[in-house]
This record gives sequence, C-alpha cells and structure tokens, in this order.
Amino acid sequence: MSLYTLEGVSKFFQRGPTTIRALDGIDLEIEPGEFVALEGPSGSGKTTLLQLLGALDRPSSGRVLFEGNDLATLSDNELAALRLRSFGFVFQQFNLIPTLTAVENVEAKLAPVAGKDPGLRVRALALLDEVGLLDRADHLPAHLSGGEQQRVAIARALSVEPRVILADEPTGNLDTKTGADAIDVLAGLAAEHGATVVVATHDAELAQRAPRRLAVRDGKLAAPVFG
Amino acid sequence: MFYVRYLRNELVRRRTRTIVTLVGLGVGVALVIALASLSSGLSRAQEKTLNPLADIGTDLTVTLQPQQNQAGFGFAGGGGGNRDLIAANQSVITDLSKLGKPGQHFSHDFFLPGSQLPFQQSAASQVSKLANVAQVTTGLTLIAEHQQGIVPKIVAKIKTGGQTFRFNRNIPRPTAAQFQAMQACFDKLRRQNGGSSNNNGTNGQNGLGNRGGGGFFGGGGAGRGAFAKCLPASLRKLRTQFTTPQQTLRQVLNPPQTNISTTAYTIGGVDQSKPAMGIVTTSQVTNGRFLGAAGGHEALLSTSYAAKEKLKVGSPLDLNGTTFMVVGLVDPPLGGQSADVYLPIKQLQTLAHEANLANVVLVRATSSSKVGAVEEEIKRALPQASVASSKQVASKISGSLVDASKLSDDLGLLLSILAAGAAFLVAALLAVSSVGKRVRELGTLKALGWTQRMVVRQVAGESLVQGVLGGLFGIALGVAIALVIDAFGPHLTARAATGGSLSLFGETARTASHTVSLSAPVGIAAVAIGFGLALLGGLIAGAAGALRAARLRPADALRQME
Repeated sequence: MSLYTLEGVSKFFQRGPTTIRALDGIDLEIEPGEFVALEGPSGSGKTTLLQLLGALDRPSSGRVLFEGNDLATLSDNELAALRLRSFGFVFQQFNLIPTLTAVENVEAKLAPVAGKDPGLRVRALALLDEVGLLDRADHLPAHLSGGEQQRVAIARALSVEPRVILADEPTGNLDTKTGADAIDVLAGLAAEHGATVVVATHDAELAQRAPRRLAVRDGKLAAPVFG
Repeated sequence: MFYVRYLRNELVRRRTRTIVTLVGLGVGVALVIALASLSSGLSRAQEKTLNPLADIGTDLTVTLQPQQNQAGFGFAGGGGGNRDLIAANQSVITDLSKLGKPGQHFSHDFFLPGSQLPFQQSAASQVSKLANVAQVTTGLTLIAEHQQGIVPKIVAKIKTGGQTFRFNRNIPRPTAAQFQAMQACFDKLRRQNGGSSNNNGTNGQNGLGNRGGGGFFGGGGAGRGAFAKCLPASLRKLRTQFTTPQQTLRQVLNPPQTNISTTAYTIGGVDQSKPAMGIVTTSQVTNGRFLGAAGGHEALLSTSYAAKEKLKVGSPLDLNGTTFMVVGLVDPPLGGQSADVYLPIKQLQTLAHEANLANVVLVRATSSSKVGAVEEEIKRALPQASVASSKQVASKISGSLVDASKLSDDLGLLLSILAAGAAFLVAALLAVSSVGKRVRELGTLKALGWTQRMVVRQVAGESLVQGVLGGLFGIALGVAIALVIDAFGPHLTARAATGGSLSLFGETARTASHTVSLSAPVGIAAVAIGFGLALLGGLIAGAAGALRAARLRPADALRQME
C-alpha cells in the first residue's frame, strides 16, 4: 500500500470575486522511504500540495489518502495527532519559536508526545547533537545563523521519528553552501530514521538530489522530471 | 515542565508587552482596592459620625421646641411661643449696672437654653413609664455667653448759664404827699450843704423833670446816699417778678467706650450617675476620666474646645466664681446635644439658675425594633415634644464628610466599575493584539501537532498568570495608595447645630464640628475583590486571546507568514 494516494485533488481559494485554482486535479502516489522533490516556480501550487500532504489543510475536491485513510474524514484533533506523530515540517523561514532556546524549540515538538517524561530534555539534546548544534542548545533563534536555525528546525522535525518529512523551500533563505549542508543533514538523517521526504523547491540543484522529481505547473503535475 | 517554561519565557522575553499588561491590570486593581478602602474608611467615619445617638446609649431624644402661637406644652413648666423663648433667654440682655462699678474688670458667663426650652426634670419620669422604654435620663444643654471686660463709665457734660435777661418797667409815680415830702427833704439837704435855693421854682406837680440847671440831682454837695434817703420807700427798692422762657437743654452723649468681649460656647449638664447613657458617656472619653459619681466641681471638655482654649486635663475652669477641675477630654458625637463643656447637671443647674430643669430627655427602648413604637408613644403622650431618632439627628449633619459619603455612594461603585472595566479592556486588547502578532508562532505549533486545546491553554495560561501577577502588583499598589491616603489624607468635617440655635438675640446658631482624617483601611474583602477582579481580567483577556487563537487554521496561519 502506498504511503500517500492522491485522487483528483483540487484546492481553490476565493480572493474577493476571483477564484484561484491552486491545485487542479492532482493524482499522485508516494511510497514509503521515497525522497521526492516538488519542483516549480513560486505560485505553482507546490506549497499548497505540501500542506495537503501534511494534513494542514483539506482539499476542495478529491481525496488525500495517507496509509489508506482519507484525511478528509478525520477530525481536527485526529489531524493534529497525525501531524504530531507522523509528520515533520521544515519551513523556508525556519519557524522557530522566538522566545524558546534551540533545545526548547525541539522540546516544543516532543512535549505533547512525551508528556511529563523527564527524558524530554535528553532526547532534545541528542537530536541537536545529531545536527551538530549541541553547543548552541541554549541559544535563542535570534542568536543563531540561518543555517543553524534550519538545522534546529530539522532536529525538531525529526524528533518524534515521523514517517514523513515535509520541507517547504528549506534552502530558500540560505546561501548555497549552507543550503547544501542543510540538505545533506536532512537527507542523511531521514535515511537514517527511515523517513519519507517530500521537498518543495524551485532550486534545481536541490531538486537534482532527489531520486524522484515532480514538476508542478499552474496547480497541475507535469511529466516527471528526469535528469 | 516544558509548558511552564514556555509560559515563563513568553512573559519574561516579551517584557514590554508583559509590563504594559501588568501595569494596566495592576492600576485597575489598585484603583478598585483604593476606592473600596476609601469607601470603607468613609463608612467607618460615617458610622461613627452619622449615628450620633448610638454612642451615647440612646435611641431617641425628646426636647421642647418653641412653637409659634402655641400655648401650653405637655411638659410641666412649659409656657408657649416665642414669649417663653425670650423669657428663658433674657439673661443675655446685659444689665451693665450689675456687672460692677464703672471701670472695674468683670468676667461673667450667661447661660441660655437657646431654642431648647427647659422643663422640669420630673418630665423624664413621665417618659420612663411608657411601654417599651428601657431607660431614661435627662440632660441640660445650654448656650453659654462668656463676657469679660471693663464696666463702662457714662459721663455727660451739660453746660448751663450765660443767658442775658432784659426787662423794662415804669417807675411808679409818687403821690402828691410823697412829692412834697421829697421836696422838703431835698430842701433840707440843700440847706445843710449851703446850696442855693430852688431856682427852678415849682415845676408844677406833674413831673420830676430835670429841666433847667440842677433839678433834684443837680445840687452839689449832698451824697447819693443822702439823696436816696429822700425817696419814698416804693422808689428806693424796685421789686419785680419775671419768668424766664421755658427751654429744653440738649446734650449729645457719646456711647460709653467699652472693651467687653463675648465668646460663645455650649455647656452640657450630665447625669454623672449614668455614665453609659447621657449627652456624653464614658465611651467618648479620649483622655482622663469621666465625671465622678459624686458630682463635684468637675468638668469634661470636648477635645476641639480644649485645643482652642489651650486647656487640658487638670486645668482649672472658672465659671462665675466657681472653679471646676477639667478631669477628662471627650469626643462627643455630633447632634443637638453635643457641647464644649460638660458639668454634673446639678452644678450646671445651680450656675444657670435652672434648678431642677432639663431640656432634653434621652430615651433607650427595650430593643431596636421597639424604637418606632416608643417614638409614637412619646408623641402621643407629649404632643408638644419634639422626638428625634438617630437618623433624624444624622440628617441634620452636614459638611465635607457627608458630601464625601454621598460622593462615595454615588461615584465609588461607578469609578470602581470603570477602573476595573478599563483594566480588563487593556488586558483583553493586549492579549488579542499579542495573538495577532503571534499568528506565525501559533500556526507553527499547530503544524507541529499541537491540538487546538493545547494552543488555547497556552495562550489563556499566559493571560491568567498575567492576571495573577497583575493582581499582586495591583494589591501592592492599592495598599500603597491606601497608606498614602492614611498618611496624607485630607481632613473631612461634619457639622451640626448644637444647643439649639438662637438667632432671637443676635446670637448666631452654634455649630459643633467633627473632623475626621480620611483613612483608607485595606480590608481582606477589598484585597479579595481586587485579586478576584484581576483573575477575572486575566480570564477575560485569556478568553479573548484564546478565541482568536482557536480560530487560526494552520494552513492559513502558515500562509500569512509567506
């Protein structure tokens, strides 16, 4: 059984009198452990597709099946539980909580799972160690570089050992080398944890590192990209 | 625990927002506490001041007020109308001759019942026999006019005399015999003096004319005395009678110059054998002691009068030659019966020549529920008596304390509601604004898998903690404000006419005043209300913020940050 099955998925947004068709009849299957790149220019619909895959939004029509379950049938709390345990997000803006230190940002993902487990801090520090930021654990995001912030975000995404990592333009705010390093870390740890990775990017160089590349144009999936 | 650390970090690291919220809530709570404390302070002051009879163990006072065109009171010794009022107060009309000899220094106190007419003390026994009356006592409250100075001299200077009276009268004609006798006498004189004979000859018999040389008087030699001897007795002495015109002498007399000064005070006679009930009781003694049971030459002074006259416990007080010893200072309740000086009633009756007279009966009912019934009974039994309850006495009290109490009643609650409402509004707006600024953060938490409940709990928790902290800050600030009010609070006064006003003789109404330093005692209830309001404010703010946070859809929240 595929990890994801998308059947005729469309998403419309109403902006005043205009209806914007962000996604238009997407059919897609993603298998467990795949590293998939969604390529396309800004506004092509790849972020919207990523949000549907991450159960952050519901399609206007069509079905998104995750491990055979139609996400549209799940309640808000069930979707939250799915996001908590099965998905890890990495954002272009890093989206760290500004008042929490690096290790506390990792704990923000772990806490709802771990409850009052005293091992929470140890686990968070171990993850920061995996991304090479143990010595920066007590720094606030404002005191970390872009690359460091993104590595904290990767550690946070991987903290609950999710089945899927969803990364939206993860290198968009990083220089080439830092971006490449971040992707190395992401890809390496995802492989190590056996997680499926879906990356939305307009960076061809990054996309090239994905074994499976899907081009998104005007809300539709174009032919698979090879090369 | 992570959530607590997160909450703490939010409050500590978003310091400005936290401080503004705490100050907003704190000021609101402080105002509520300060106003509640102030209101409590005013209530205490009013309770004491505006319940004037309770402190003197009395429910009702019975007095005899003069009434126009009314003859006959129920009380023994009563008269009727203003005539009696004048009669009762006539000792104020000073007879200067009774003060001493002109030029002597004098000092005298005149005691006047004012508008509360005196009556026989036995009237109290009439009241004591009425149903539901537990105890009765009498009092005598008088206005005292203290006069001192020099007995004036009145000297009038009247000038008389200096008038000229003129009158004309014909000399009576001598008879022929007298004429001949005179002629003979003159001739004889002429001869004796060797003078010539009468050369005029007879000049007829009709006149004494002096035509010609000598005539009668022309002769030389003879003296006037000798000549006068020749005149008949009727011409020798002129006797006549006249009446001077009637006239009135007018002399303007300057009024006597005097240095007599008059000061007024009130004086009360107390039944010292009933120290718990009377126009002043032991509970009003602030310094020294109450009057001794023997009723000797002892006096109590009100604290304000003692301060004004620079008297203290142990000072002698001279009243018309009798020296009283000040044994205590009292803080009498306001109302018609308060006085500056208190003496045993017998002593005052003697001084004021009001033997066995009183002008107030104080009545205590068997229970508070019977006060109304007793009031009706007294009015029925003594139709001309004026019966006043504590409430009626209080209604005649005025001054800034009463104004402040009205202000407190009218505006206190409104101000508290406004202060608390404003504080809640500030807190709620800040919470909503804070959520608005944290859309990205809260959207991320939802993306991370936080449920709506967890996000709402976190946001509401922050507001609640701010409410608690704001409450504590507000309590501290409120207590500080109350302490400042205690230390520097303005003085409020309450005034009431006392001893019966008396304008009949030009005496202005006597008023007693009671000064209260405005205090703001902070009660547990005020603190609890303030803290509760802060929590409520925190909850309202939390609910407002949480509602905003709950409406966030994760995709929308994340889309906003792009």
